[in-house]
Amino acid sequence: MTKILIVEDELTLNKALEEFLVEEKFEVFSAFDGEEGIRLAKEKKPDLILLDIILPKKDGFEVLDYLKLDKKTQKIPVLLLTNLESAEDIEKAFNKGATTYLVKANYRLEDIVKKIKETLKCA
Amino acid sequence: MQIINDLNLKKQARDLGVKIWQTPGFMFIMLGMIAVVIMTAVFLISQNYNDPEILVLAESFVVVVILIVGNSVITMVTQVTKLNRMKSEFVSVASHQLRTPLSAIKWETELLLSKCRRRVVGDKQRQSIENINTLSIKMTHLINDLLDVARIDQHRLIIKKIPTDIIAVAKDSIKEAQSLAKKRHIELALSAPRKLPAVLADPEKLQMVVENLLNNSIKYTTNHGKIELKLTKKDALVIFNIKDSGVGIPTEQQERIFDKFFRSDNIAKYQTEGTGLGLYIAKNIIEQMGGRIWFESVENLGSIFSFSVPIAKQKD
Repeated sequence: MTKILIVEDELTLNKALEEFLVEEKFEVFSAFDGEEGIRLAKEKKPDLILLDIILPKKDGFEVLDYLKLDKKTQKIPVLLLTNLESAEDIEKAFNKGATTYLVKANYRLEDIVKKIKETLKCA
Repeated sequence: MQIINDLNLKKQARDLGVKIWQTPGFMFIMLGMIAVVIMTAVFLISQNYNDPEILVLAESFVVVVILIVGNSVITMVTQVTKLNRMKSEFVSVASHQLRTPLSAIKWETELLLSKCRRRVVGDKQRQSIENINTLSIKMTHLINDLLDVARIDQHRLIIKKIPTDIIAVAKDSIKEAQSLAKKRHIELALSAPRKLPAVLADPEKLQMVVENLLNNSIKYTTNHGKIELKLTKKDALVIFNIKDSGVGIPTEQQERIFDKFFRSDNIAKYQTEGTGLGLYIAKNIIEQMGGRIWFESVENLGSIFSFSVPIAKQKD
């Protein structure tokens, strides 16, 4: 079963994503802050990570830095899932090695699953 | 022309949202008048008195008055700009904050809907959930528009310039608008040459503009009409026309049609929905891509909205 890690501090968003992904037959792990995200990424070795940017303890960019530095996690594709969309943020995300950048408000859960499947196919 | 524009105090006051006597234009006129009066006074004084001390005193008086008035003009202008900036900043912060709960509402309703499909739920309940879903999507659009306006006002709207297939953009936009058109029994027809060179544009933003113009045309066509989209190449540009047989725009309101928040009287009557932001955003996007946007319209007969985008230079 494909393993997905969600790093999202907003409880409702995290749960909605988790439930939808479980129904789509993914195995899902949830983290609610940056540090927990890094820990679960190392522990569970997910096939893909959905990562928010504004997070407690460590923000999404810092998490991305850690993941890309660690040999164990650097190959995992990271989909940034956020409501920030300034050009600087998007550029920063790609420079740090994010695979895709999705604006939450503009994507339905269905579209996110589609993006996940596309990314896994390419990887 | 620019000077006359600068002196149009009524417009200035409206644009800045201040009283007429607070506009920079008015202050500068006052400053000029004060300077003239004082100069005349100094001239008269120097005619009647030969004492250099009085002249020096009069001159210093002039300098002090001009400094005071000038200073108040500068303060006024700074205040207005600061207020405007704060307003845009407020809009962008508020919109960002609003988007998080809105995403949650959207995803939760989607989740509910997907469950409804599997289990038996009354039609009425399903309809309510679908309504919530549609409404939250509309609200997302509105907030995105507000964010774009704030970005335009802060000169932070970033437009990519990459070679773009404009025919594909037109086709995608038609696909998106099709369901609304069908509901209103309106036919959408595209005519384009078989091949067009790529244009230099931001594909997502370009599609936003086309969808916006198309949605306007559909919304404001009350009879079962036809909307024609036409693509033509002209010199180094591609011209995009969207022609409808809708309610049109009253002649006296045509010059304000691209203003922020402006909606003409007749459409406000037909359609309660709409913010008056679409065309303002469209104009800014097209102009930033190096194109131009314009229209022809006759009230009760219809409108043709057109824009141009530059063709991408081909690599040799």
